[in-house]
Amino acid sequence: MADAVHSGRLERVDASASGASASAAASQTHRISSGGLIDRTKPLSFTFDGKAMTGFAGDTLASALVANGVKLVGRSFKYHRPRGILTAGAEEPNALVELRGGARREPNTRATMAELYDGLEAVSQNRWPSLRHDFMAVNSLASPIFVAGFYYKTFMWPAKLWEKLYEPAIRRAAGLGKASGAPDPDHYERAWTHCDVLVVGSGPAGLSAALAAGRAGARVILCEEDSALGGRLLADGGEIDGAPASDWLARAVAELESLPDVRIMRRTVTFGVYDGGTFGALERVNDNVPVPPEHQPRQRLWRIIAKRAIVAAGAHERPLVFPGNDRPGVMMASAVRTYVNRFAALPGRRVAVFTNNDDGWRTVEAIRRAGGEVVAVIDPREPTAIRGRAGGAGANVLRGVVTGVKGGVDGVSGVQVSVAGDGTREIAADCLAMSGGWNPSVGLSSYHRGRPVWRDDIAAFVPGQCPPGMVLVGSANGDFSLGICLEAGHEAGTRAAADCGASASAGRAATATDEKFSIHPLWHVKGKGKSFVDFQHDVSASDVLLAQREGFESVEHLKRYTTLGMATDQGKLSNVNGLAIMAEATGRSISDTGTTIYRPPASPVAIGAFAGPNRDEHFHAARLTPSHHWAAERGAVFVDTGLWKRAQWYPIAGETDWLQSVTREVLAVRNGVGFCDVSTLGKIDVQGKDAGTFLDRVYINTFSNLGIGKARYGLMLREDGIVMDDGTTSRLAEDHYLLTTTTAKAGPVMQHLEFCRQVLWPELDVQLTSVTDQWSQFSIAGPKTRDLLKAIVDPSEDLSNEGFPFMGVRDVTLRGGMRARLYRISFSGEIAFEIGVPARYGDALARNLMVAGEPFGVTPYGTEALGVMRIEKGHVAGPELNGTTTAADLGLGKMMSKKKDYIGRVMAGREALTALNRQVVVGLKPVDTAARLRGGAHIIPKGAVPGPTTDQGYVTSVCYSPMLKQWIGLALVERGRERHGEIVTIHDPLRAGDILAEITSPVFYDPEGVRQRG
Amino acid sequence: MAEFAWKSRSPLAHAVEPGRAGARAGAAGVTLTEIRDFALVQVMARRGTWAETARVAQQLWGIDAPGGPKAVFGQDVTLVGSGPDQFFVLSKGSSVQDPVEPLKQAFAGIASMTDQSDGRCMISLSGPRVRDTLAKFCSLDLHDSVFPVGAAAATSVDHSAVTLWRAPNADGGSPLYNLLVFTSFADSIWHLITESAAEYGAELGYAA
Repeated sequence: MADAVHSGRLERVDASASGASASAAASQTHRISSGGLIDRTKPLSFTFDGKAMTGFAGDTLASALVANGVKLVGRSFKYHRPRGILTAGAEEPNALVELRGGARREPNTRATMAELYDGLEAVSQNRWPSLRHDFMAVNSLASPIFVAGFYYKTFMWPAKLWEKLYEPAIRRAAGLGKASGAPDPDHYERAWTHCDVLVVGSGPAGLSAALAAGRAGARVILCEEDSALGGRLLADGGEIDGAPASDWLARAVAELESLPDVRIMRRTVTFGVYDGGTFGALERVNDNVPVPPEHQPRQRLWRIIAKRAIVAAGAHERPLVFPGNDRPGVMMASAVRTYVNRFAALPGRRVAVFTNNDDGWRTVEAIRRAGGEVVAVIDPREPTAIRGRAGGAGANVLRGVVTGVKGGVDGVSGVQVSVAGDGTREIAADCLAMSGGWNPSVGLSSYHRGRPVWRDDIAAFVPGQCPPGMVLVGSANGDFSLGICLEAGHEAGTRAAADCGASASAGRAATATDEKFSIHPLWHVKGKGKSFVDFQHDVSASDVLLAQREGFESVEHLKRYTTLGMATDQGKLSNVNGLAIMAEATGRSISDTGTTIYRPPASPVAIGAFAGPNRDEHFHAARLTPSHHWAAERGAVFVDTGLWKRAQWYPIAGETDWLQSVTREVLAVRNGVGFCDVSTLGKIDVQGKDAGTFLDRVYINTFSNLGIGKARYGLMLREDGIVMDDGTTSRLAEDHYLLTTTTAKAGPVMQHLEFCRQVLWPELDVQLTSVTDQWSQFSIAGPKTRDLLKAIVDPSEDLSNEGFPFMGVRDVTLRGGMRARLYRISFSGEIAFEIGVPARYGDALARNLMVAGEPFGVTPYGTEALGVMRIEKGHVAGPELNGTTTAADLGLGKMMSKKKDYIGRVMAGREALTALNRQVVVGLKPVDTAARLRGGAHIIPKGAVPGPTTDQGYVTSVCYSPMLKQWIGLALVERGRERHGEIVTIHDPLRAGDILAEITSPVFYDPEGVRQRG
Repeated sequence: MAEFAWKSRSPLAHAVEPGRAGARAGAAGVTLTEIRDFALVQVMARRGTWAETARVAQQLWGIDAPGGPKAVFGQDVTLVGSGPDQFFVLSKGSSVQDPVEPLKQAFAGIASMTDQSDGRCMISLSGPRVRDTLAKFCSLDLHDSVFPVGAAAATSVDHSAVTLWRAPNADGGSPLYNLLVFTSFADSIWHLITESAAEYGAELGYAA
């Protein structure tokens, strides 16, 4: 605990703990000999840029680097300036490393958030050939030209260089770390959880809130980004209820863990607020180990649904803007305290502190207690009461500002101080702790567009209008005293629980003495050298001023012109300083200058976590037909049709080319018999007294007069008169129809029909339900279809033309007692039946069809052969029902009933939809019978110059026709029906070039339809 | 001519490998069982005939029809709400016969019925970590106070519609949830469920 470090002294770690830790400890030159929340019995080895170092369990990578005396950890984005660890938290802009190796390499990992584990490998980024000697640091010399708006000013001309030179060069320079480029070997999950009260943050305010709500009986989730609960208590200690804060912390955690409806989620950052009390949170389940245990995810993305939310996400300390503020060794004052107290690592032996507020002075005490030397405290304010603490120990207290920092890649060597009314002074130091005040973490409160509100007394923005059900407490609300944090947390927890109906006693709030927070804003210390506002993106105070001079005064413009706040920390450190400098330059108040819009995520989230298990072949669910595994056994090639896997063709031994297989399958059907799984077509049971009326209203043709036991082809339009879908619908009983849809539109049609039933015509007695998955259905086609059917259907069934006419439907029994439904419908143009059995018998049906059909050479065929046969017959399908065509365009205008109303009727009559020059379905036959047609090619008059004015349509469907022995196609062509026989140019600039083709009737094969009625 | 044998095949015949899956240490955290032997009829009241439909259900099975998202457990059947004025009739024992036939007369003119015995695959989930597993693919709040025994929901898993209900607790005292998924999605959803359960150790199987 924080208090345990009181007796600590800076010296080499006692190496006697174990043999292993003897050498382990040697590298830890800046480790304090006792105290801290680290486990000295568990030494851990790690490497940074290949150099072996050690730390202890409980360290972060950053704290271990501090303990090892490492100052230089990275290079900035633009100028490649040497940078050190600035913070101890999620807002770290500098200490970004590549963690792990191989396929697990993670660029831009914040060293402050990476828990140390044995064998950790970290590599610095954005430098070449090494971190100390970075060639690209020459950028720094050119910094006068790399100013705000550099891109916009430089890469404007000549325009032709953009694609060839500028963009590739910028892309190479962009980014810090490099991704591995290999598939991530780990897996990620998504999960949901629910609660009454979500508490974000486990500092004193959050713990107090969770305790109150939990005791009251509410279901509570407490999310903490850190691996340990406690927030600033872990670093700052203090007294609660008259005892060390660590005692209270231990008791609070134990009590929370004992409450059955309280869930504590460690290593879980709440990153977003969405509608209906939904929060996004990322749990880093196994980021703290080299490789996740088998079957465990690396990270889990949570959606937390909460009735109330108490955000106690704390505050981020604000840097001061002065020349040299980015030198390695300049660190946030609170981070210095964290490293000293929590991690027992001293960032410097001779520390200067530069602060404009009382909180910075707490660092003075922390360093002293740890045995470090405070060489100076620089505070620009009139002396305040807080000075007594440091003054008593004889520190060199200066009223003034830091105007320069000496040092280089190895860190700070001294600071230059301008003392009020007393000239300048040089002070030797190896660390400069700075504190510019605290910015409450208002992000989560602002994601529903609530604008934070400026408060002069704390010189910071506090939450404005919060999303419904959310309150902010503690330092997130601008209340920086421990006493208020405990009290406000308790009150918020009690109230939130009561709002959710949990009314047991919340107990009493813990208490602590209040310390008054006092600050005098200091936005910009002017002087020689760069003063950084945004560290990672190298945005300096002069860039902000330049933006103002060039007219980019709005904060949103400032952000985009200078890239201020666009780095991985998303402005947590830089935004307020940037806009305060802008406010000063424009003479506006900070409140009037305002903030940029806040958007989630509050902390970086890997795309892999959003994807979760939906990657590779599980990117989306796959739907399998009942005969899938039978088809797979036969070596079928599958094609994705929406979510479905459909057999595309069934290659047999000796076939080397898909066209060979497909042609064989087509000829087998046309000359004998074949079958194809059509289970994927949508099937909807339509029942009720008004089922017929209902169908009359959704289809352009009439179904109420369809005889029982008959099927009819139907076409439905969208409200706007464009064709929506087609399919056959059968009447099974007076009040029972079975409607079919295309595979692609099964879902949308079901939605459409439900909308019609529930919203448009609630007065109709109609019930709908999908039976797509209930039936396994096969189309059996070819001149020998009846022979096959007779072999499998019970002999008592009459399958003759008279006994089972074209478009007939009825239930039949199959040999062996299976029930089935038989439909005499044809898509191929051959005599054909569809046969449906309950899905669990689909596999058996496929196998039995093979046996029954063997004497007739039965051939299973796939969707390609199905497509070829429908093109030969001129049947329209998806490529023609493409959301632009009317019934008349498809040649189905005569189906549009004039005796009734139906959806789309009125809008289909609009001028443009009935114009004579519309593109309508025609057939196409290349003049050169060896030429290949290509889908998507454009149709222009023969010999015309291709262009928008000569474009008359396009090819929708093509196939090689085994019956015509040449490529044929369907197309949508202007006035196509008047142009049969005309030769046109098929313009295909992307692929085969231009060919000539004849416009024909779309029906290429058996135009009289003799075969299917045979 | 030969008679044919009609071997029924579950949509999960390929996917379910009975036995232990995922983490091996300790007792299985989750038990996943495909229920193969069931008949399922969807009963949808005709317009304005919910009261009569419920009365017929009471006469046939001696229990109240679920007038909402509930599961009602009877001697021979479980009735599970599937939407406004409609429910599933789940009974043990599948057969080649159409399970709608025996109900037709009783519901004539009162309710529409559809056989869904083959349209759905049924998976039951139990075990001490069952809720942690469900949390990974089901967005619902399954806390005892919100989703007690007899609660049911029409919800979605991986963008596919499912029916979920909580049955009386399993033998070991853990909650027991039943899931009806569309047959064609069964393979994918089974994969998702078993992956979700893997870290807790899963006992996989089927009940014929």
